[in-house]
Amino acid sequence: MIRFEHASVTYPGGVHALKDLTLEIPDGQMLVTVGLSGAGKSTLIRALNGLVPLTGGDVIVDGISVRQANGKQLRELRSHMGMIFQTFNLVKRTSVLNNVLMGRLHATGSWRSLLGWYRPEDIEIAMQALERVDIVEKAYVRAANLSGGQQQRVGIARALAQEPTILLADEPVASLDPPTSHVVMRDLQRINRELGITTIVNLHFLDLAKIYGERIVGLRAGELVYDGTGAQADEHVFRDIYGRSLTADDLMGEARPTPASISA
Amino acid sequence: MTAAAPASRRPAKPRRSPFVSVGLGAFVIITLISLSEEWGIGLDIGSLLEDIGRGLPIIAQLLDPNWDFLPRVIEPLIETFQIAVVAAFIGCAVALPITFFAARTTVPNRATLAISRGILSVVRAIPDFLYALIFVAAVGIGPLPGILALIFFNVGVVAKLLSETVDAIDTGPIEAADAAGSRRTQMVRWAVLPQVLPNYVAFSLYAFELNVRASTVLGFVGAGGIGFLLRTQYQFLQWSNVSVIIICLFVIVFAIELVSIRLRRRLV
Repeated sequence: MIRFEHASVTYPGGVHALKDLTLEIPDGQMLVTVGLSGAGKSTLIRALNGLVPLTGGDVIVDGISVRQANGKQLRELRSHMGMIFQTFNLVKRTSVLNNVLMGRLHATGSWRSLLGWYRPEDIEIAMQALERVDIVEKAYVRAANLSGGQQQRVGIARALAQEPTILLADEPVASLDPPTSHVVMRDLQRINRELGITTIVNLHFLDLAKIYGERIVGLRAGELVYDGTGAQADEHVFRDIYGRSLTADDLMGEARPTPASISA
Repeated sequence: MTAAAPASRRPAKPRRSPFVSVGLGAFVIITLISLSEEWGIGLDIGSLLEDIGRGLPIIAQLLDPNWDFLPRVIEPLIETFQIAVVAAFIGCAVALPITFFAARTTVPNRATLAISRGILSVVRAIPDFLYALIFVAAVGIGPLPGILALIFFNVGVVAKLLSETVDAIDTGPIEAADAAGSRRTQMVRWAVLPQVLPNYVAFSLYAFELNVRASTVLGFVGAGGIGFLLRTQYQFLQWSNVSVIIICLFVIVFAIELVSIRLRRRLV
């Protein structure tokens, strides 16, 4: 279970990215966070795995404080949390398999990883992760030679190879076209349901949030302004989160539905 | 997503920084002062034209290489090649781990960065010629002091160039490795090294090429290789023989360059 306890993050420039956030996320939940750019979605995810240090409060993951964790404990915590990025963050010059094996580094000794002698069982885990996102045939292709959607599936496979209990996805479809976005979101949903991995996804398209979010959390200027189910989140709720009326730009749908259609 | 902004909301074009024009102006002024007779080296174009004829006999001999001398060149040339290979191999291997302590992106903390950069600056500030003098004094005449001198030279050059390359890479994969709970060495090995590997190979070949050229100087102080032969021939004013040595060195350096271009094309 994940618990944010009055968590705050203030960046060195004085920007309050997260203000006194208190939130409880039970195991196995698929949580979607929505909000405008700069509302604190990315900060929420990065505070969870310690990539961004908290300046107030705490985050407790399975009973362990992220804020008090030292280097080794933090790595141990992170090894249980797979992360998926908007820009994929693959090493494009190397093979898909080498990228996915990065998810096994936490279980691999320094000398072994320096020499690239991954254990056969780790390679097996990586291959299975690639199979789960249906891209194993590209294992020995350079990451640079894949399309955007394929690269993101490799990103998901890398996170899965960690055998995580939590998946963090930071705008995973923001660099993809609508049909590919649905493929990637369905992959995440399937993984969440089949493996029971707690999944936290940042999205800025509201229709996607409604379709895939078991629970939706709305952030505005670093503060929690909505917490409820996808079904409950209608146009008024989103207007609260965004602080303005919805426009077609807030929706991804191929046919660009009108703002009214999401409240249907 | 967003439509074109109305003209009034467009920001004003930023003014060009005076840095470039001031820098260029300063450079021109320093050059003029350096050329002036009063404060500088006092370059006299007239004497250049008057005396140029004196060099003609030497140039004539250089253009007429004495190919009978070639057999005596082969053996020291091979020694030069071997010194260069061994020094480049060891020097570049030592430089690789040092690089990651001298790059902002991969260094564990600021103190380590300052210390390793400081050491590298000192290593690079000492010329290869001086290293050769020191090692000849320490271990005696022969190829060994040459190899030792070139190792130091190569570590300085390669670690400097590669650490700057590391600082310019895509940092996305580093974040991914951190998020996966990897240690720093693992992050460097799998998120950084693959990105700079082609540069590392290119810099290593460049170091090897520099070593072949440096051998001419190293031989002067008795650190082995072709330089010693070059010195004796030049002292006895045997310009036709010097010419053969220079042509041989040119061929080697050119061959390395060709191999390096091919390797780089395959790696990038």
